[in-house]
Amino acid sequence: MTATTPDQSAAPATSALRCEGLSKSFGDLQAVKNVSFHIERGETYGLLGPNGAGKTTTISMVCGVLARDEGEVLVDGQSMSSGSVDVKSLIGYVPQDLAIYPDLTASENMRFFARLYGLSRNDANSRIDEVLDTIGLSDRAGDLVKTYSGGMKRRLNIGLGMLHRPKLLILDEPTVGVDPQSRNAILENVDQLSGEGMAVLYTTHYMEEAERLCDRVGIIDEGELKAEGTRRELVSLVGEHDRIQIEGAGDLEAGVAAVRDLPAVREASVAGQVISLIVNEARNTLPELLSTITGTGVQVRSIDVAEPDLEAVFLHLTGKALRD
Amino acid sequence: MKPLTIAAYNLKRLFRDRSNIFFVIILPLVLIMLLGSVFGGTFTPEVAVYDASEDERSRRVVDALEQVSDVDIRLTDSEDDVVDAVSGGRAQAGLVIPADFSAQIDQGSAVTVRYFGRLDTLAPQLQSAVNAVIARESAVIRAARFANSETGVSLDQATSQAQSALDELPAMTVALSIVGDDLVPDAEGFDSSAASQLLLFVFLTSLTGSVALIETRNLGLSRRMLSTPTSARTVLLGEALGRYAIGLMQGLIIMGGSALLFGVGWGSPGAATLIMVLFALVGAGAGMLVGSLLANEQQALAIGLLLGLGGAALGGSMVPLEIFPDTLRTIAHIMPHAWGNDAFATLLQDGGGIADIGTELGILAAYAAGLLLISSYIFRRQITSG
Ligand SMILES: Nc1ncnc2c1ncn2[C@@H]1O[C@H](COP(=O)(O)OP(=O)(O)OP(=O)(O)O)[C@@H](O)[C@H]1O
Ligand SMILES: [Mg+2]
Repeated sequence: MTATTPDQSAAPATSALRCEGLSKSFGDLQAVKNVSFHIERGETYGLLGPNGAGKTTTISMVCGVLARDEGEVLVDGQSMSSGSVDVKSLIGYVPQDLAIYPDLTASENMRFFARLYGLSRNDANSRIDEVLDTIGLSDRAGDLVKTYSGGMKRRLNIGLGMLHRPKLLILDEPTVGVDPQSRNAILENVDQLSGEGMAVLYTTHYMEEAERLCDRVGIIDEGELKAEGTRRELVSLVGEHDRIQIEGAGDLEAGVAAVRDLPAVREASVAGQVISLIVNEARNTLPELLSTITGTGVQVRSIDVAEPDLEAVFLHLTGKALRD
Repeated sequence: MKPLTIAAYNLKRLFRDRSNIFFVIILPLVLIMLLGSVFGGTFTPEVAVYDASEDERSRRVVDALEQVSDVDIRLTDSEDDVVDAVSGGRAQAGLVIPADFSAQIDQGSAVTVRYFGRLDTLAPQLQSAVNAVIARESAVIRAARFANSETGVSLDQATSQAQSALDELPAMTVALSIVGDDLVPDAEGFDSSAASQLLLFVFLTSLTGSVALIETRNLGLSRRMLSTPTSARTVLLGEALGRYAIGLMQGLIIMGGSALLFGVGWGSPGAATLIMVLFALVGAGAGMLVGSLLANEQQALAIGLLLGLGGAALGGSMVPLEIFPDTLRTIAHIMPHAWGNDAFATLLQDGGGIADIGTELGILAAYAAGLLLISSYIFRRQITSG
């Protein structure tokens, strides 16, 4: 692999991944329609979409394990296709369905794939220890995989994809069917890796995972990339209003009465010690709101601003809920 | 060497299941016993002989037959007795020396000795014994004629002329008759029959590579392998190599074991091994084709059996190619078995070596390469088309 200096250079840096116009049909079903996106180094990109949206199909084309009908995939500037061999050493693919030998141990599974990724024996040994440690399987490394719990198998499934320090790690719903503890461990792993400069392509239908993990998110449904951007950018598409909850002491009714007439406030109400407001663009109106309320003598104890989430974005874009 | 890595892990997984060790080792041992008892044999077959001519020459034939090692000769009083003994199982084969045996030799015409076989594998041994006697008798006759007609010729010259006269020997044929329903005459010889069995078995074993390929694919591991810098051809070759190694190992156990324990002959060892090595590779290639075409292991097993047994039958590994009608024999060479059997026939009947079976080896190698190439193409298409 050639080492290139990251972004600061004047020359336009090659993206870790660049997809242009990807399309794939299975018979009459158009599973992926003209999907384009790119991922920069150190960036974590999430593909968020419901079952059957085309996430796995897209990812499979990116990895060169599925032949595409149309479009182009460049990994670190190099063309990837189902016939490619060398460029595949740049990616680590973690398939949605477990792809590990149940009748081998974790170490053996790792040694096998380390060879396929072309690691030398020494390199493999040290990497296997590191990765086992990362995925928390060091003490079970010598046990047959079929004796593992589901979460342990998932973690091994992920570990196999990062053995060779890929430039682009591709994870297809790695946390499905995993308990919260293992899920946290997995998400931390991914976070850590992207912190080390690895680009990550991550698919999920869990909104929270996409929000927590990803720098940018692409929303995919029925094979189409409906929108993409940072969480903020996506949310701004909704143009929906924010909810502000202010916990306070004093004459809350008076406080509400004072802010009700501000142009940005759509709704205002009091319940117990909490004032609830629905406003346009909380970020801009919040200072004015607060000074108006404290002006009436109300003491503000805490403020909670809830922006619309990706769930709302999905609803806005597709007219349906992300999860039924 | 990624194919070797893939093959090694394939074997590692296979042997992790202890019962597979049993099958891989025990199965060939069973086959050794079978080959040994049928084709090597520690029992002495009995040959019923009716000498209708009862003269000096025919008696010399009987003497010569008795010299044939590992055969007991029992004289009977009529041709019917011979047939009864063979069909009743008391004798494994029978010979009838015709009443005009001597007259035929004197006339220099073809001599017919009738053979009845239960153990068809005895025919060549008996044939060569009879041949030897006739050759000797004829040589003497010729020499005597020369001495009579051309008096004054020295004894040395007479002998050398007699020697050259050996070339003009009357042709000897052993006419084959079938006694009973299940008696298949076989002029090919017992070692080639063992060779046919070996081909059948090794091919069948190598075919099981299809199951390995399907298993890997269904576990999602083929796809995962293709996401690493590993080509479809490498993956396929690796999976093929694993099971191929087992077919090969079993073949060697069988060849070595049956030769050592039962004296089954395999001709030139190097050449025989080479036939098996290439032939097993053809089997592995066929296994990869089956494995890349079919979706599940049960289907593959069914097709594998069909191909393994049907192919063996058509390719002359059950009934020798020699007794196939001409057209069928030509068709039979669609199957690699036919080429393998031809090659072994050259080794065992003509005492040939590697140089004499170049064509057959080349064709087997081409089969193997072709099958592996086609199947890796289909395999990649299958995986990458969804
Ligand atoms: N090999 C295939 N043959 C036929 N149709 C397929 C195949 N693979 C996927 N599809 C179809 O393509 C569409 C997209 O499937 P895909 O697996 O990409 O969805 P996904 O977003 O990964 O869903 P999930 O969240 O359930 O994993 C679905 O309608 C699916 O049925
Ligand atoms: Mg999927």
